[in-house]
Amino acid sequence: MAEGVLQQEPAPMKAGAKTLVRVENVIKHFPAGLGQSVKAVDGVSFEIVEGETLGLVGESGCGKSTLARLVTQLLPVTSGKIFINDIEVTKLRGEKLRQQRRQMQMIFQDPFASLDPRMTVGDIIAEPLVNFGVMRGRKRSERVQELLKIVGLNPNFNNRYPHEFSGGQRQRIGIARALALNPKLVVCDEAISALDVSIQAQIVNLLEDLQREFKLTYLFIAHDLSVVRHISDRVMVMYLGKIVEVADSAGTYTSPKHPYTKALLSAIPVPDPRIQRGKRLVELSGEIPSPLNPPSGCRFHTRCPIARVPTPCAEVEPPLEEKARGHLAACHFSQDV
Amino acid sequence: MLLDVAGLTVTARVGDADVPIVRDAGFTVAPGRILGIVGESGAGKSTIARVVAGLLPPGFRIASGSVTFEGEDLPAASAARRRELLGRRIAFIPQAPLSSLNPVVSVGRQFAEHLAHARVPRAERRGVAARALAEVRLDDSEALLARYPFQLSGGMCQRVLIAMAFATNPALIVADEPTTALDVTVQAQILELLGDLNRDLGTAIVMITHNMGVVAGLCSRVLVMYAGEIVEQGPVEQIFENPQHPYTWSLLRSIPRVDALRHERLRSIEGLAPDLLHPPAGCRFHPRCPFRIEKCFTDEPRLQEVAPDQLAACWVTMARARKEMGADDLIDIRPGAGSGVRKGELTD
Repeated sequence: MAEGVLQQEPAPMKAGAKTLVRVENVIKHFPAGLGQSVKAVDGVSFEIVEGETLGLVGESGCGKSTLARLVTQLLPVTSGKIFINDIEVTKLRGEKLRQQRRQMQMIFQDPFASLDPRMTVGDIIAEPLVNFGVMRGRKRSERVQELLKIVGLNPNFNNRYPHEFSGGQRQRIGIARALALNPKLVVCDEAISALDVSIQAQIVNLLEDLQREFKLTYLFIAHDLSVVRHISDRVMVMYLGKIVEVADSAGTYTSPKHPYTKALLSAIPVPDPRIQRGKRLVELSGEIPSPLNPPSGCRFHTRCPIARVPTPCAEVEPPLEEKARGHLAACHFSQDV
Repeated sequence: MLLDVAGLTVTARVGDADVPIVRDAGFTVAPGRILGIVGESGAGKSTIARVVAGLLPPGFRIASGSVTFEGEDLPAASAARRRELLGRRIAFIPQAPLSSLNPVVSVGRQFAEHLAHARVPRAERRGVAARALAEVRLDDSEALLARYPFQLSGGMCQRVLIAMAFATNPALIVADEPTTALDVTVQAQILELLGDLNRDLGTAIVMITHNMGVVAGLCSRVLVMYAGEIVEQGPVEQIFENPQHPYTWSLLRSIPRVDALRHERLRSIEGLAPDLLHPPAGCRFHPRCPFRIEKCFTDEPRLQEVAPDQLAACWVTMARARKEMGADDLIDIRPGAGSGVRKGELTD
């Protein structure tokens, strides 16, 4: 992978762009009885600038979906602050929070569960407009038809029901609903994971087109690193409730500075027999520890191939700090990765 | 040949009709080789796996064709004989590891039950199980055998199932998307494990997957399926290097690569896979194919040799599409977007 560095297009640096999302030291603990708690998100800070796509990857249980729900305020934080457009949404309640929701929409993983089977497609897409009293009567139905067209569906399908559509088409309906209120931020939580390969490409291309056309900002969450690399300007890697690495997508992939990122990358099957057969897998020992009781020091030290135990890795938590320009990692020995 | 499938057509009962969901499939697996079967949902790949394992769900029927395993005609075998073969000569690794083990029976008892079926003497069962678990790199087998499936992670359950499959030293393992439900790091370990076991024990594997990367790393041959039919088959290197069916070609271009050097727009395959109740006439891929010619609308292409040992079912094939349509230069295949769909351009 490293030999591609020179030919790498410069990552679109959104220098000078406005910060749209600012997350400051956010913690989300879920009570789990017996005085214990699941530390799903445990002290996370990052920013998303306007117009960028920030990818978020990690394996099951790392806290990525919880983080998505915190950013969209579908879940309250345990502590910490989240700003959208300089407004502290974690402080807002009731109607003020509701009004803020217009700016942040979500596209969900399961295109079957996220659409009400008893509502027509037109009603599903119009629901956000109804909720916020935006447009009425003919104007509203025209907007619905326009949205259907934008996502590549026949505008006359508005009277049909979700069961009449395939997975990919349903995901388009979900996207139309997310766009109805002209949001600034769209959080895609595994939005293409349930789709077939050929359909995934359709939806990825659609999301890219929509971003350009409507100047959308994406938080794109997936476990598939290939897709995340493809669509994102920057990529953030999570492990057990912590961010372990953030960099532009070229940096993350060509010169990872955290051993977990490196292991994840080595694990992705590349559709090319010559490369795939010669690849060396970075073996991670053991299983992901329980988020009820995460390991001391660096949370990755129990599985890390380069950890020095006990000190410092099992004792001192490495801070997420800049290791190269715009490239942050939380590792005591990032130079050895 | 270890496994020889010829002219296999499988139907499923839908209402009053028998709908063909696998049509006229033919392929062979040599001892010790790994065959990949790729395709999207509904392509028929899992149905083929279940035919070979003798685990067709109710309502599914082998309408025609033969499946010969070690010289024995499988569909003609009695139910008792099939039960005898499954688990001893042919093993099956299912997709969902957690739901494939009984949650209220300990791992040890389930393992012993499996070994009893394979006629491993009672006294040897514990030893065989421990060795098999060590092979899949699960240590401390004593403790593991005493546990219940819900106490294990998905990756560990899948290892247990793989250990069970290999424990009886079968000649063929049918693995139906064994890593789809797992995280990537676990998937990589399981794939490496399957490759190692294949090398060390010489067990042939039929690997069902939708992931081209899995095929690239593990398999020596590959079948590409679309809408119930095999559209292309051949050696893995050759198919990846020089796919001849437009579906294979498009599929390989629709996957973002983690090692990509620059951002290129993905080549999506527009439209949807056909409804098997009402499949299109002619080539089943023609409504989505950027290189279709008039013949494709009406005449069904058959698999024919397009390169040594490589078969594709296509009237055009990529070699011709490239030469006459500049296939590699086409950027956007969406209808009306300067696509390659130029009807009649290549008619004979």
